[in-house]
Amino acid sequence: MAELTAFSFRPGTSLPHRLDVRFKLFFLILISLISLSGDFSGLGILTCLLTALIIHSGLPLKSGLKGLRFFLLLLLLVLLARMVTTPGDALLEIKSYAVTRQGILSGLLICWRLTIIVMLGFVFVFTTRSLEIKAAVEWVLKPLTFIPGKRIATMMSLTTRFVPVILNQANETAAAQQARCVENRKNPVYRLIRLGIALIRRTFERADKLAVAMEARCYTENRTDPELSATRTDWISLGVMILICSLAVSI
Amino acid sequence: MFIIEIENLSHRFEDGTLGLDRISLQIQEGAFVVVAGPNGCGKTTLIRHLNGLLLPTVGSVKLAGVPVKHDLLRARCLVGMMFQDADSQIVGETVYEDVAFGPENLRLNRIQIGERVTQALDVVGLTDFADQSPHLLSGGEKRRLAIAGILAMEPKVIAFDEPFASLDYPGVKQVLKQILALHQSGHTILVVTHDLEKVLAHADRLIIMQKGQIVRDGMPAEIVNTVETFGVRAPCASLLGLEVQSWLN
Repeated sequence: MAELTAFSFRPGTSLPHRLDVRFKLFFLILISLISLSGDFSGLGILTCLLTALIIHSGLPLKSGLKGLRFFLLLLLLVLLARMVTTPGDALLEIKSYAVTRQGILSGLLICWRLTIIVMLGFVFVFTTRSLEIKAAVEWVLKPLTFIPGKRIATMMSLTTRFVPVILNQANETAAAQQARCVENRKNPVYRLIRLGIALIRRTFERADKLAVAMEARCYTENRTDPELSATRTDWISLGVMILICSLAVSI
Repeated sequence: MFIIEIENLSHRFEDGTLGLDRISLQIQEGAFVVVAGPNGCGKTTLIRHLNGLLLPTVGSVKLAGVPVKHDLLRARCLVGMMFQDADSQIVGETVYEDVAFGPENLRLNRIQIGERVTQALDVVGLTDFADQSPHLLSGGEKRRLAIAGILAMEPKVIAFDEPFASLDYPGVKQVLKQILALHQSGHTILVVTHDLEKVLAHADRLIIMQKGQIVRDGMPAEIVNTVETFGVRAPCASLLGLEVQSWLN
């Protein structure tokens, strides 16, 4: 049996699982925009909301954070860069670089914002079928007749569907290389190249097999899409979400 | 009535390799045919012509009297295909969604899709797994899921490409039972394999391929003793001069 990565849809009955995908997409965009402009108190409110969503939807936080380790490394680099490049009251001086109070605050703020957006995306992918994402994107792009909505939506849904498959493949390839002592090679570039080449080759082979299997089952862009219907729960959630976001902006 | 008629079929790949070499073949509706041969002999290439995944370089393939290339959609509805790697066939995020993939491509309405999926899952005994992630199924269950995905298209012919590859004994029995049930329900069955042991007892015709050509074609009992000449392992029982027994006994 295969082990699923945390970044894939899992069936469930939580509120985020049950919401209409169009509302979820709107919430994702709304919260992301607000978190980009919010300060510490606003981000605090959004974090409370996000924590409640994570707990309620049963997101596998531990394996998710493991999968996000490279993102956490990126956040650390962003924080360090901000700390030493933002002018202000110096707290610590190392040679010509000064770690400033303003830099630390600014770095923390950016990292917090990015974390909120990424975790929101995590919740979204975890609770939404790729087929629903496709239908929602198509619905959003429908009025824009000059944009090939169906094609974009198909590409998006296939991407979200296959990111976990590729991650799974990467884990398997890495494990196979570890079994042959790749860790004895200290040069990370060598290891990355070895992993990258094998992974890309396997991914293309797999994509090729999948394309043939899809063709055998008459795949077309014009498929029966899931029926999108907003319920009372969706509208109540919309009201609550607007209230929380207004609170986050106004504080 | 012949459901499949192949006439003088040759296929040359883009790199110039000859995959199939002047194959002519007719298959009766409701038949159970095993196509065997060593790796690279053209078995998979042959069955991929049945639903237009590959088109002939020379010759023709007809399904119920109509050339495949004239109506690919019809061909793909008539001939369901189960691939060797069941994992790469899975496209849905739940078992239900995966089975619904084909009917959705046919643009059926939601009620029709629901009916087809429920019936297909019932046939393969996966109804209780409908909301489960397909990637968490066992090897045998994944093959049954692939079969359900095919059944939802309501085909008349089902081609299995190495259906027992990398399955454990219970998995082989599960899949074999399923294949036999489909045959009994009137489907024409084609099993492509290099492992005759598991399936030959149930076949009514055996075709042996080598280097893109059909080198033997007949009743299994009549030609099974010659298969080792062509790089195919004969079933143990036939080597001992006994009748080949079913794996289900």
